[in-house]
Amino acid sequence: MATGYEQWVEMATKQMKGKSPDTLNWKSPEGITVKPMYCEDDLKGLATVGSLPGMAPYTRGPMATMYAGRPWTIRQYAGFSTAKASNEFYRKNLAAGQKGLSVAFSLSTHRGYDSDNPRVAGDIGKAGVAIDSIEDMKILFDGIPLDKMSVSMTMNGAVIPILAMWIATAEEQGVKQEQLEGTIQNDILKEYLTRNTYIYPPEPSMRIVSDIMAYASKNMPKYNTISISGYHIMEAGADSVLQCAFTLADGVEYVRAAIKSGMDIDTFAPRLSFFFGVGMNFFMEIAMLRAARFLWHRLMQQFNPKKAQSSMLRTHVQTSGWSLTEQDPYNNVIRTTIEAMSAVLGGTQSLHTNSFDEAVCLPTELSARIARNTQIIIQEESQICRVADPLGGSYYVEWLTNQIVEGAQKIIDEIEEIGGMAKAIESGMPKMRIEESAARRQARIDQGKDVIVGVNKYRLKDEKMDFDILEVPDSVRLEQIDRINQTKKARDNAKCQACLEAVTKAAAGNGNLLEVAIAAAKARATVGEISDAMEKVFGRFVATTQCVSGAYSSEYSEASSDSAQVIEGIRKRTADFLAKTGRRPRILVTKMGQDGHDRGIKVVASSYADLGFDVDISPMFQTPEEAAKMAIENDVHLVGASSLAAGHKTLVPELIQKLKEKGAGEIMVVAGGVIPPSDYQFLYDAGCKGIYGPGTPITESAGKVMDMLEAQYCK
Amino acid sequence: MHKDSSYYIQGVLDNNRLMLARTITLVESILSTHQEIAKHVINALLPYTGKAVRLGITGVPGAGKSTFIESFGTMLTTLGHRVAVLAIDPSSTRSGGSILGDKTRMEKLAVNDMAFIRPSPSGGSLGGVARKTRETMLVCEAAGFDVIIVETVGVGQSETTVASMVDFFLVLQISGAGDELQGIKKGVLEVADAIVVNKADGDNVNRAKLAKRQYETALHLVTPSSPNWTPPVMTCSALEQTGLVEVWDTIKSHKRIMTSSGELDKKRQDQAMSWMWFLVNEGLERWFYQHPEIQKLLPEIKQAVEEGKMAPTRAADDLVAILGKNLLF
Repeated sequence: MATGYEQWVEMATKQMKGKSPDTLNWKSPEGITVKPMYCEDDLKGLATVGSLPGMAPYTRGPMATMYAGRPWTIRQYAGFSTAKASNEFYRKNLAAGQKGLSVAFSLSTHRGYDSDNPRVAGDIGKAGVAIDSIEDMKILFDGIPLDKMSVSMTMNGAVIPILAMWIATAEEQGVKQEQLEGTIQNDILKEYLTRNTYIYPPEPSMRIVSDIMAYASKNMPKYNTISISGYHIMEAGADSVLQCAFTLADGVEYVRAAIKSGMDIDTFAPRLSFFFGVGMNFFMEIAMLRAARFLWHRLMQQFNPKKAQSSMLRTHVQTSGWSLTEQDPYNNVIRTTIEAMSAVLGGTQSLHTNSFDEAVCLPTELSARIARNTQIIIQEESQICRVADPLGGSYYVEWLTNQIVEGAQKIIDEIEEIGGMAKAIESGMPKMRIEESAARRQARIDQGKDVIVGVNKYRLKDEKMDFDILEVPDSVRLEQIDRINQTKKARDNAKCQACLEAVTKAAAGNGNLLEVAIAAAKARATVGEISDAMEKVFGRFVATTQCVSGAYSSEYSEASSDSAQVIEGIRKRTADFLAKTGRRPRILVTKMGQDGHDRGIKVVASSYADLGFDVDISPMFQTPEEAAKMAIENDVHLVGASSLAAGHKTLVPELIQKLKEKGAGEIMVVAGGVIPPSDYQFLYDAGCKGIYGPGTPITESAGKVMDMLEAQYCK
Repeated sequence: MHKDSSYYIQGVLDNNRLMLARTITLVESILSTHQEIAKHVINALLPYTGKAVRLGITGVPGAGKSTFIESFGTMLTTLGHRVAVLAIDPSSTRSGGSILGDKTRMEKLAVNDMAFIRPSPSGGSLGGVARKTRETMLVCEAAGFDVIIVETVGVGQSETTVASMVDFFLVLQISGAGDELQGIKKGVLEVADAIVVNKADGDNVNRAKLAKRQYETALHLVTPSSPNWTPPVMTCSALEQTGLVEVWDTIKSHKRIMTSSGELDKKRQDQAMSWMWFLVNEGLERWFYQHPEIQKLLPEIKQAVEEGKMAPTRAADDLVAILGKNLLF
C-alpha cells in the first residue's frame, strides 16, 4: 500500500459521512469500475507503463517529440453539394490556415450511382459532393495543386472509380503519381458493420482493398491506402473498448489480405492509418487512443515486421457527431472542445472538429470557422503542445489504458477464434454487440442516467433556432445530370466502352482494378459505369438486418422505480390497444435513400419492440415507393421514416403521396433524425404527423405515437 | 375494421394487395367481433382455395432460411409462379412486442410484384399461430397465389404445428463442425419431407456433403410417414443459387406421387379433421374461461390452491363440474 493509503480511506469515509469511498465507484459503459482515486499501487505490474514517446510499443505516441516538435494536422472534413461550391470552400479554408483537405462525398457517389439514376433522386449532393466523372473531379480540385496538398477522401464503396478519377485529375494537372499525398478511407469492413455504404459483397470488396494497396505500394509511395476506421463504429453506439477492439481486428484482417495477395508486410504496413472517434467520456477516450497504439504494436508482431513504422499506429481523430445535440446547439461548441482536448491528449496525428450545427444540417461558413478555430486555439494559445504525452504517468490514465487493453484484447481473441473479422462480421457478432451497446446508451439517456445538457437536463423552454441553415437545392441534381450528358456526348464512346470492358475483365481475372479504372476515368467513364462494370462480376451486396431485443428495457430494470414505471405505462397502453382493436400497434421503421446510418432505426426498432409494439424493419436503401408497398402489405398503423442526411424534404412527402395513391392514406407517417426545425412546418404541411429530433427519448416518442393511434383506433 | 365481409371477399378475389393485407389483419385479430367476420370471409373464399402448393420451411437460426426463400421464391416467380411467403416471428414473452425483420433479408422478393410477403408476430399462444397462419394461407390461395411458403423459426413446437398445415415440409440445415445431428430434433426428422443442407458454397462444399451423409444416416432410423416417399437429403447454396431447381423438382415430384397415390387428399383431410378437433378444444377452453360462474369462483379457488387449502385435483374437478351443472339447467 502506498504510504498514507489507509489514512486516505479514513479521511474519505469521514467526508462521506461514514460511507465507504467504494460507494463512489462508477461503472463505465465499457463495464470498467472506476474508483474515485488512483495511486502508485494501481500501476504495479502493468505491461502498458514505462515506455517513452516515439518508442515501441508507442503507448505514449508515435513521435519522440510529439506536438512539441510539430502539432497535429488540422484536417476538416467537408464537402458541399457541388464540386464548384466545395472547391470555393476548400480554397477559403486553405487560406485560413488549414493544412490538409478532406473530401465528403454525396451518398449517391458512395454507393456507385450516377446522379441521373432515379434510385438516388433524393440523395444527390446530400452529405457531400456528387462526383459523376473526372470532369467533376477537375472542378473540385481546380486551382489546388495536388503535388503540394495532402487530400483525404472518405470513400469506401465506390473507391475504385473515385480514386482513379483523382489520380487521373492529378495527371491531367501535370502531377506525377509518386508525388501524390493523402489518404483514402477504403475501410470496407466497417461498412458492413455500421454505415452500410458498400456496393459489393465482402470477398470482392476485400480484393479491391488489396488491389489498391498493391497499386499504391508500387506507384504512390507517399499515399495512405487505407484508413481503418473506428469512428463509425463509435457513432453506431460502440463504447471505447468495442471501438478499439473492432477497429484493430479490422486492421489485422486487412494486413492478412495484403499478405495473402503476395505483399511484404513492410511495404504496406507503414502506410496503414487509423481513424478513431472520440466522445464525451474524456479520460476514457484518451486512454483508448493510448491503448490502441499499444495493442496494434502487439498485434503486428505476429507478422514479423522489420521496419519500426510497420507496427506504429498513426491516427486521425474526429470528434463525435452523435454527441452533438439539436437542442441548445451552441453547447456543441463546448462539447467539441472537450472532445478535441481528449484527442490531443491522446496523441492524435490529425484532427477534425465538428461544427456545432451538424446535428441539424451541413456546416455553414460560420460554424465551420468556429470548428477550425477550436483547434487553432488549442494549438496556438493554450501551450498544451509544449510537452509530449503530458498525461503519461498519470495513475488514473495509465491504469485506464491498461483496462482498455485488457478488455479489447479479450474481444480480439474472441474474433480470432471465430476466424478473423470477416468471418466474425458474417456471424453477426460485432454488429449485435454494437447495437446492444447503443440500445443501452439510449436507455440511460432516456432515464437521465447519462446527462446531456439541454436535452434531458436543463432543457430550454420554447427554444428558437437563430442560426442559418445550409440547404441543398434540387437544382444540384439537374446540373449534375447536365454535365453527365455533356461528358458522354464529348467523349470517344468506343474507347470508353473498351476501357469499361477491361474493368469487367480485370474483375473476373487477376488484373489490378485500380490500374484499369484510371484508364477508364481518363476515357470519361462515369462512376456509375465503372461501378457497374465491376458489378457484372461481383454482384451487389444485400445486407441482412438483425436486431437485438431486450437491451433497452434491461437498462430500465436496473433503474429506479420511476423510470421503470414509464416503461410499464407504455407496455400497458400497447396491451390495451391489443385488447381494444384486436392487435398490437404495428409500425414500420424505414430508412429511405442512400444514407446507410442505421443506428437510429435499430435503436428505435429494438426499443419499441421492448415497449410492446410489433415493429417491421424495411431493407436499407428503399425508395418511397418500395417503403409504401411494404407498409401496405404488412398493414402497419404507422411508418417512422428516419433521415440523417437531408433527404427528408423529398423522401418523406413522396412516401405520404405514394401511400395515398395506393389507397392507404390512413397509414400515418412520422419522421425522426436530423431534420432542421425550420423544415418542420414544411413536413407537417406535407402530411407528416410527428417529428422526433435527436435527443427525443424513445419513451416520449412512443407515448406520442400511442396518443395518435389511440385517437384514431380506440374511439 | 370494416363490418361487411363482402368488402374483404371481393378485395381478395380481385387480388388487391391492400385488401389482401387488410384481410390478413382481420384474420389475425384477437377480437371476437373480427373473428366472426373472418369466419364468413374464409367460408366464402374456401371454394377458391386448395390449388396451391403448400410448403413449410423451418431451420435453426443461421441456417439461412430467409436467404433461401429470397433465392428460391425469386426463382419460382421467374417460372411464372405467384408466391406468398408467410413468416412467423417470435413475440417477446415479456413485452408482447416483436421485431419483424424478414423483408430486410428478402430484399428482391419484397419488391417483386409476383410475390407477397407477410411477416406475422407469433403472439401469445401456439394455437394463435396455427389458426392465423392456416387461414392466412387460405386467403392467399384465394387471391391467386399458387405457391404458399410458411416460414417458422425452429423453436418450441412451431415446426410440428406448421407441418400439420402444409403439403411439403422442408427442413433447412447447415453444415458445422461435424456435430450437425445435435442441432436437429427427432420430432423434426419425423415430419420432414426433405432435408436441405444450405450454404454448400465456397470452402464449405465438402462439409455440406459430409453433413448430407450424416442426415441420410439419421433419416434411416426414422420410419417414413408414407410408403411411397423417402425424404431425400439435398445440398444447395441460396447465395450462389445452386441446387434450387433440384429442390423445386423434388417438391413437384412429391406432389405428383402423393396425388396419384391419393395420399395428398388424405393428408389434407386429416389436417382438416385434426384442425377441427383443435378448434373444438379451443372452443371448450374459451367456453370454460368465459363462463360467468367460473369467472366468479376462479379467483377464490385459485387462492385456495395456492395456499394449499385445496388439492389441485379437487379444484379441477370442482371447476369442470361447474360446466356440467350449467348444462343441466
